[in-house]
Amino acid sequence: MDNDEVSRRAFLLAVAGTLGVSALNWSEIAHAAHTAHAAAQTPGPLSISFFTKAEAADVEAIAAQIIPSDGTPGAREAGVVFFIDRALASFCSRMAENFRAQLADFQTAFRASNPDIASFAALPSDHQITYLQTVDHTPFFDDMRLMTIFGMFAMPAYGGNRDGVGWKLLGFEDQHVFQPPFGYYDRDYPGFVIEPEKST
Amino acid sequence: MSARKVRTSAQVDFAIVGSGAAGGVIARELAQAGLSVVLFEQGPRLSPANFEHDELKYWFLGGITNDAEKNPQSFRNDPAKKAERAVVKPPLWYARTVGGTTVHYTANYWRFHEIDFNERSRLGAIAGTGFDDWPISYAELEPYYTRVEWEMGVSGLAGASPFDPPRTRPYPMPPLPVKSSGVLFERGARKLGLHPFPAPLVINSQPYRGRPACVHCGFCHGFACEVTAKSSTLTTMIPEAEATGRCEVRSESYVVRIETDKRGRASGVAYFDRDKREQFQKARAVIVCANGAETPRLLLMSANPQFPQGLANSSGLVGKYLMFNCTGRALGVFEHELNEFKSVQVTRILHDFYQSDPKRGFYGGGGIDARIGPQPMFWAQRLADYGTAWGSAFKERLVEFPRSMLAVGHGTSLPVATNSVSLDPELKDAWGLPAIRVTYKDHPDDLANARFLQDRAAEILEAAGALKVLKAPVTEQTSAMHLLGTCRMGNDPAKSVVDRYHRSHDLPNLFVCDGSSLVTSGRGQPTMTIQALAFRAGEHIAGFAKRGEI
Repeated sequence: MDNDEVSRRAFLLAVAGTLGVSALNWSEIAHAAHTAHAAAQTPGPLSISFFTKAEAADVEAIAAQIIPSDGTPGAREAGVVFFIDRALASFCSRMAENFRAQLADFQTAFRASNPDIASFAALPSDHQITYLQTVDHTPFFDDMRLMTIFGMFAMPAYGGNRDGVGWKLLGFEDQHVFQPPFGYYDRDYPGFVIEPEKST
Repeated sequence: MSARKVRTSAQVDFAIVGSGAAGGVIARELAQAGLSVVLFEQGPRLSPANFEHDELKYWFLGGITNDAEKNPQSFRNDPAKKAERAVVKPPLWYARTVGGTTVHYTANYWRFHEIDFNERSRLGAIAGTGFDDWPISYAELEPYYTRVEWEMGVSGLAGASPFDPPRTRPYPMPPLPVKSSGVLFERGARKLGLHPFPAPLVINSQPYRGRPACVHCGFCHGFACEVTAKSSTLTTMIPEAEATGRCEVRSESYVVRIETDKRGRASGVAYFDRDKREQFQKARAVIVCANGAETPRLLLMSANPQFPQGLANSSGLVGKYLMFNCTGRALGVFEHELNEFKSVQVTRILHDFYQSDPKRGFYGGGGIDARIGPQPMFWAQRLADYGTAWGSAFKERLVEFPRSMLAVGHGTSLPVATNSVSLDPELKDAWGLPAIRVTYKDHPDDLANARFLQDRAAEILEAAGALKVLKAPVTEQTSAMHLLGTCRMGNDPAKSVVDRYHRSHDLPNLFVCDGSSLVTSGRGQPTMTIQALAFRAGEHIAGFAKRGEI
């Protein structure tokens, strides 16, 4: 029994324990849980199909500056570049042409101001940050930021957020059922009391 | 997927366009009154098995809402400008599925207060706006608010807010369990002498009418509920309408025109079926419940030589006075974890600032609630509003996710005639029909009100002991989910589109009931009122039909 199966069973048991109602359509709920967990499985081996090697290197380097790997996993460990590559080749294909053109403009502008450096990806990290500060109000950077967030936090089935590292970073729990107390502050809540109206 | 039961050539009593908050209710009321109904819906009919906790799909890839390719929209903030096509996300957001936006709403179910219906008489006119009284009062609508609470199933605590309008029955269910954000909000608000109370939600806190209690999964806001604890017309009103044997739901059927006969009456609806073949359904009367954007669009698209301005549009007001509701957000970060990604969106609210107060120097009022855009991508995306967009500073902010909450003010929008839904002269949808063109610019009072409510929200977070409080800049809105006011109700045919019973002033057998009927915006959370109007309209329209008055 793999982790997804454990999680699915836990979900069903939790629902049953919580509700104790016969009104639920069990087959539908089971199907929903199964679909969700099948989709949450990490996809197969890593591969790049949309980007060239040089494009992928720059995209990965930019993503790794948007969510850096400083002590905890960042965009690099989440496989954000694989997510973006896959997205532009499939469900975000409408953005693909524009994204590639913007990326080419980014690379051209970078080479113009850094004629001695092979590519943005080849720069040391602190220099990358300095350079990005000059372009972080461009539409390309906005798109990179959005795609990095997608790749970091979308369900792993989309190709990023590998092993749920994005969710773990946030402390988000991928679970179907929760019970109170939900957090620290509602643990000892005494219950709602209607206060007498104040004469303010 | 049910097959078509009513022949298109047979005359059905009512063709209802739109199966959401209002259409689902009216279909049920008419079918239960013995009348025959075909309920049209553009989108597919989904079941809980189709619903997923997939944030990318539901929030950013169209999901069950508008697809930027198939259902494009354009936007401008000035009627003198050309509207620009929205490439990624259409500005107006609504669910295209049986049950409509009730399938994916956050489920906040406040009643409007008395003041929302008669504020123009109380405060006077506001220059440059269509600010007006409603043709009905809160007292007239109260029995229907009560019906919404009991038929849809609302959890709440009667008498908990000293500002609540009068009610004839308590809520059918107690409130949902409080979250940490609710506890902190309550603590902070009470320190300031305010009156927080449990948020009324159309979500089951216990099993109700065959649907289970909430399992606190956290995916309400923009998601469909796979356990059916969050009520929707898909899981309540529509099956009840079908159970009469007199209501057929025709999904994936996109109504593109209401046709009229020589006498100037509606004769039925033309629609594209799922294979994009045009069909025509004859009907004795047509009721449009397609929402504040699609309703005016359909009336405008139905223009013909007899009604060159579009149907029901002798006033010229179809599509005008669009209102979004204003919002102002404050973010608080606390010492310990709140885990706002769990459970329902909102558990505490307050109405202390509901009334407009001339001393503030602007028109407007609102409610404030404790909430968060609870899911990871939404959180990360929105952090840019608070000043950190990338890099290690962004990452430091990202990991505050479990310790963060929002306090959000929701308030009035003034009805401004240039704020509107109209037909884009160039942009077409995937069926070749004119796309929605949105023209919107917040009234200066709406922005002032949003900032005022945001400041109050920030004070509550500070009083609650937040380690830091951040305010997102209040800017002019360019997108919305509350689509209100575009076919307003009124007694004067020159100043409104429908009468007090939702009958159009121009065509005796054409009715309109949805967010477009609202005369003023309320203070946010309009669906409860849309459904109260729908129960009332359903009762009156059934009466008209039975008395031969249509």
